[in-house]
Amino acid sequence: MDEEYDVIVLGTGLKECILSGLLSVDGLKVLHMDRNDYYGGESTSLNLIQLWKRFRGDDKPPPHLGASRDYNIDMNPKFIMANGNLVRVLIHTDVTKYLSFKAVDGSFVFNKGKVHKVPANDMEALKSPLMGLFEKRRARKFFIYVQNYNESDPKTHEGMDLTRVTTKELIAKYGLDDNTIDFIGHALALHSDDRYLAEPALDTVKRMKLYAESLARFQGGSPYIYPLYGLGELPQAFARLSAVYGGTYMLNKPECKVEFDEEGKVVGVTSEGETAKCKKVVCDPSYLPGKVRKVGRVARAIAIMSHPIPSTDDSHSVQIILPQKQLGRKSDMYLFCCSYTHNVAPKGKFIAFVSTEAETDQPAIELKPGIDLLGPVDEIFFDIYDRYEPVNEPTLDNCFVSTSYDATTHFESTVDDVLNMYTLITGKVIDLSVDLSAASAAEE
Amino acid sequence: MPSRRRTLLKVIILGDSGVGKTSLMNQYVNKKFSNQYKATIGADFLTKEVQFEDRLFTLQIWDTAGQERFQSLGVAFYRGADCCVLVYDVNSMKSFDNLNNWREEFLIQASPSDPENFPFVVIGNKIDIDGGNSRVVSEKKARAWCASKGNIPYFETSAKEGINVEEAFQCIAKNALKSGEEEELYLPDTIDVGNSSQPRATGCEC
Repeated sequence: MDEEYDVIVLGTGLKECILSGLLSVDGLKVLHMDRNDYYGGESTSLNLIQLWKRFRGDDKPPPHLGASRDYNIDMNPKFIMANGNLVRVLIHTDVTKYLSFKAVDGSFVFNKGKVHKVPANDMEALKSPLMGLFEKRRARKFFIYVQNYNESDPKTHEGMDLTRVTTKELIAKYGLDDNTIDFIGHALALHSDDRYLAEPALDTVKRMKLYAESLARFQGGSPYIYPLYGLGELPQAFARLSAVYGGTYMLNKPECKVEFDEEGKVVGVTSEGETAKCKKVVCDPSYLPGKVRKVGRVARAIAIMSHPIPSTDDSHSVQIILPQKQLGRKSDMYLFCCSYTHNVAPKGKFIAFVSTEAETDQPAIELKPGIDLLGPVDEIFFDIYDRYEPVNEPTLDNCFVSTSYDATTHFESTVDDVLNMYTLITGKVIDLSVDLSAASAAEE
Repeated sequence: MPSRRRTLLKVIILGDSGVGKTSLMNQYVNKKFSNQYKATIGADFLTKEVQFEDRLFTLQIWDTAGQERFQSLGVAFYRGADCCVLVYDVNSMKSFDNLNNWREEFLIQASPSDPENFPFVVIGNKIDIDGGNSRVVSEKKARAWCASKGNIPYFETSAKEGINVEEAFQCIAKNALKSGEEEELYLPDTIDVGNSSQPRATGCEC
């Protein structure tokens, strides 16, 4: 190990692996280490034995659940927006060649005690009980406005400056009722709370456009795609990219200790008595706990089931959004389910997750509204963990710490953090204007 | 006339750092050899179209990209392999002794449905060095190990001089095809995220 690198990356979470890949492609000499003997860090996918070890100690999984290796259970469940930033990064780096994706069957929203499909086309929209007929007409006008909106073409703005007009003001112009606003804000724009209403409307309009474009991309039942074998494939794919361009990988390195000089600038990393020198360190919060602060907590339930989630049209992969207002909470709650059809479980098995920003210390009680929608479960596990963000000044210490993964249902905030870190580390900006229209659905 | 079916077969190459895995791939696919040793940089997977009897199929040969150097291959690398090639250097006893570790690591990570009969092929590379005078692993010893692990096919090669490389990969391809045919994998419909195709009109308002 005693060698010199441009960058040492600690932790093989998705963010760290994307950065490792990008930096190696740029020609930097990268050493990437992880204390675990598997890739993924907090964003890994575990097999059954690993899952039991993490949540049940020395217990063994019951044989009737099937082979351990058939399970790939995400520790940070999210779906990928089909037209989103992560897809752009995948295409930009050509990492898609290591991965296979499948569309997610459906997106649903919890409203007045029932689960409803988020309409995926005009026909579904007309039939949906989420809005009355006249409300649908008003909503349609709003959707047309959003669809036509082009930031650089003032003719599409209809006299409103969306960098100043709030979302609430914009929606009021179309006379939509509170229930519709809730649906638009949480099930389409995917906001996790209601702060967006008082903020400039541009962000919400962009989010709605992303949803619509993602829905149209593969013309499936939802705007999402998801990799076969689970999200743990993503860090491994980017790690391979890094290795192909010269990155050095060392899993199973305990006690990665970051070393500093007398001025507080990073000089290297020590593990097992050996020190590798470097100019910069990139890591997840767990490797530099003294340089981060707690900003929240995520509560999560993980369930193994033998059936799809009820009321989802027998979908084998599905998201259900439970807006905060429907539950009387500060943040939305999310249900996420995938199954053997995405090769994350043996035939006939489904993996479901319930996640939210924690407001109590009791995940089992707090998550109950979501868990109640699951139906019978074979096994269930609960987790609650802190979220951190960096408080150091990278220009002073050359340490670049990623922010913890949030409870959102997709990767947009994850990729934003990566791109910001990349610019801080290299001084360069990645052009992600991949021509997505040239990359389209094709059944293999 | 029998129909031609195109099949994609995944072959992975394992072995200690420096035994010549990348050179073997390059010699087989590209008929090239580089004398400059560098722990693998820039090697990924290579593909080669192979015809066997009336069948045309694509061999996708995966290099380790150097991640084996510190035992840092991920489970994704192993998944779905139709044949596993174990490479050692006939001039390095350590690399031969580690074949056992590599084989066991493969069986753990890949978890094939029929581990007793999963097809391996062993290659003893670098038989050209010093005219064979620095050889430390005898052919007899290697063949005995292969026999003890279920009669694994064995080849001695020189990636540098192209000796026996074609023969070894013909055997690999044959075994991969046999393995790929027997597997009844659940093959979900996947979407293509990266390929170009005709643009589609986007006209949806949710």
